[in-house]
Amino acid sequence: MNRRKLLKQAAFGMGLGVLAPWLSGKVLAQQAGQANVPANLFQEIGKRGGTLTLPLGSTPQSWNYFAVIDNFAYTVLNNIFDRLMQLDQVTFELVGVLAESWTISKDARTTTVKLRSGVKWSDGTPFTADDVIFTFTEVASNTNLRANQAATLTVAGVPLRFEKVDDLTFRVVSNKPYGAVLQALTFSPIMPRHKLAPFKPREDPGGYSRVWATNTDPKEIVGTGPFMLQSYVPDQKVTLVRNPNSWRRDPQGNPLPYFDRLEYLIIRDPNIQVAQFLAGNLDQIPITGAQFPDLKRQEVATGKIRVLRGSTIYTSPPHWGFNFDVPNPELRELFRNLTFRKAMQFAVNRKRIIEDVYNGLASLPGHGVAPGTFWYYDTRSYLGEWSLERAAGLLDSLGLRRGADGQRRLPSGKVLEFGFTYASDSLPFSAIAAILQNDLRQIGVKLNLQGIQQGTLLSTATGGNFESILMAYGDQPDPQLRKDIWQPGGQLNYWHRSVWPERGSSEPKFDQMFPWEKNIWEIFRQAEQLGDQSERKRLYDRWQLLSAQNLPVIMIVKPDAVAAGHARLGNFYARDSRIIFTNFSMFEK
Amino acid sequence: MLNFVLRRILVAIPTLLLISVLVFAVIQLQPGGFLENLLEDPRVSRETVENIRRQYLLDQPVWVQYLHWLGGIVRGDFGYSFLNSRPVSELIWERMGWTVFLAALTILATWVIAIPLGIYTALNRYGPSSTVLNFVGYFGLATPDFLVALLLIYLVLVSGGTTVGGLFSPQYIDAPWSWAKFQDMLGHLWIPLIVIGLDGTATIMRQMRANLLDVLNQDYIRTARAKGLAERVVLWKHAVRNAINPLISLAGLQLPTLISSTIIASIVLSLPTIGPFLYDSLLNKDQYVVMALLMLSAVLLMVGNLLADILLAWVDPRIRYE
Repeated sequence: MNRRKLLKQAAFGMGLGVLAPWLSGKVLAQQAGQANVPANLFQEIGKRGGTLTLPLGSTPQSWNYFAVIDNFAYTVLNNIFDRLMQLDQVTFELVGVLAESWTISKDARTTTVKLRSGVKWSDGTPFTADDVIFTFTEVASNTNLRANQAATLTVAGVPLRFEKVDDLTFRVVSNKPYGAVLQALTFSPIMPRHKLAPFKPREDPGGYSRVWATNTDPKEIVGTGPFMLQSYVPDQKVTLVRNPNSWRRDPQGNPLPYFDRLEYLIIRDPNIQVAQFLAGNLDQIPITGAQFPDLKRQEVATGKIRVLRGSTIYTSPPHWGFNFDVPNPELRELFRNLTFRKAMQFAVNRKRIIEDVYNGLASLPGHGVAPGTFWYYDTRSYLGEWSLERAAGLLDSLGLRRGADGQRRLPSGKVLEFGFTYASDSLPFSAIAAILQNDLRQIGVKLNLQGIQQGTLLSTATGGNFESILMAYGDQPDPQLRKDIWQPGGQLNYWHRSVWPERGSSEPKFDQMFPWEKNIWEIFRQAEQLGDQSERKRLYDRWQLLSAQNLPVIMIVKPDAVAAGHARLGNFYARDSRIIFTNFSMFEK
Repeated sequence: MLNFVLRRILVAIPTLLLISVLVFAVIQLQPGGFLENLLEDPRVSRETVENIRRQYLLDQPVWVQYLHWLGGIVRGDFGYSFLNSRPVSELIWERMGWTVFLAALTILATWVIAIPLGIYTALNRYGPSSTVLNFVGYFGLATPDFLVALLLIYLVLVSGGTTVGGLFSPQYIDAPWSWAKFQDMLGHLWIPLIVIGLDGTATIMRQMRANLLDVLNQDYIRTARAKGLAERVVLWKHAVRNAINPLISLAGLQLPTLISSTIIASIVLSLPTIGPFLYDSLLNKDQYVVMALLMLSAVLLMVGNLLADILLAWVDPRIRYE
């Protein structure tokens, strides 16, 4: 039996049990020994050659990673640059990328990271700890750069210190224990010091932001990743080719990536992405639950494509937020009243939203944490069942009686009605808005829908320019990384703006907070400075429970991840309800 | 004539100034701004935003920003794109080629097709072919261009084609020019031509038809016929030349559509024109890009009007004598 067959069989066996894949993954890794990327990326050993063509939703703004906030640029650059470590696609645990191993000191204040040896930049220069120190001290923690990571590289107000030990070892030191330190290191791709240090990011951040613009000679953009930039045609295509110095090896020790070329076609319209995909011009597309049934039918009918579903951390669960500081005093009092928010939660028909809006490709949400992951605390029992009677009962108990016209009245005698801002250019959001409006009408509450552009949703929310709003923030692997959202006073904690700190101050206004908000604030403050993960978990459990009980916002559902790829793609598959693929491990069958 | 042109150019300067003040004011009136949008990313702190605000002089009063921008224009500097960290002029220039090519081609195709059709439908008012053409015209006017685009793409897909969107197949985009690449472009080009041109063709066709019908009922046409001129001469020398005059003024208004009219069609069809670039800048409040493009559009409108006036004077002797 050759190795390829063995791998195929191993992969086949993985579908059988829940534990089996984990075990066989371990066995596989031990047998091969040579692979330096997670073995679970491989369903089979691939063959070299070909072009992988993917869509890009808009024109990238720059090739300078920390100078722009642009997911389209990041999509391209993530093939060119590597991070120190990354989350495993199956286990969601940290695995080394440029880092080979790491140790955390007993007091949880010093993390020592050993780097992979023999890694070279695509121009042949050796990769060393100097590149890491440069990236974190000069660039990633530089608050004058637009996409800096300073917030995650700071604990209790003091920046982390990065110290070189030797060419392939460095230390991260903090004044207080920092439980999310490893997670914080996953955010920054490592930049080549020999290319970028001459532009002096510390002294001249404005000038530094202008280097590596999209008209830069591609040879200048030097990375350690599997691919490197070859050419860019504005608004049409980005072409990458295999990095000859790529360090990645598959389980048989073959160099990765398998594909010779990786091309991104710039296609803005999601419908056209699907059309290009069906026409065979694209190998893979990101899709939504709404497109899933259509494409699944195509898969069954033609066999030319494969459509996968799975769960993931990163999808954004929509939530319903009420403006605690709305100018209208009656509404303000109502929105701040937990009984009212509970009544509104009873009116949210999650089952119908999952079935009708997401075609079944969504599940019950967590409160700030993705269900099924390490930090998740099961709050599902607090979500309650959809019941318009109970919602009506709670509204009655608040004295919001129905008038002769069926509309409920506020204490002043005015009709109970308020605005509901949502993204009208998002298919699921519009559908959710319609369902809510319809259900609330039946219990005498008038929801005035206000559709706005998805792109302006956040500025509308953080500007306090709404009465109630349908918003969504993406989940992250560690709650510490989302404290700006969930810690009261955080800059994305938009529903209670009156507790935001005064300009120039870092302390939120505690006297304006509800008791449970103070508790949550304290939880985040403590958890940030703890090294012990189980202690942190205990704190974050309590935060999730407090959120589920007090409903700062009403979580709606957690969408699944879905993906569609051409049948000719190898190592593009789903296992254990995870969708597994990377651009360097996929190949053309 | 020269006097006239000079006078028009002199009038244009204060007009453009006024437009720039208005546009600048409108941009400032929008809720939120480029920097507020940045906060969307969890990694951007208020501190970073304040630093960048200073970097880009956005902490200055609006009128200082405006004067700064105006000073740049005088020196030929159109400002900086916040979004792309590059000079605005470079970014516009990168997209100018395909924008002008597509716009010129569609305008040309529109006129070449619409004028004869307009004449034809005017002369054969009640014929079946005119009815069909009129129907197509109404359809073209009534259907939004993105819908036409999606319909055409659906038809191509159903018939097994692969030319759905873009100007080239993927492998030709960055290939050097060759006969095969040219053929590939022709294979793609017809969809954008129809999508962008259908509306204009229908408009011009119907206007030409209405104008010609109007003219054909005039006394001087009857006189021309009565004095025994050949129908060919009556039509081309007397009727069409008069009927086409109003359309020339209309042509002047078409120049600014170079920038704005193809936004949605370009987004849907993945065309590398200025339209989607303007759209992105508007959404992200990239104010100097928006300013540059809107001013360009205003300049084109004035240039277009001027050209139309000159052309009109050239075509119609009566205007010259006035």
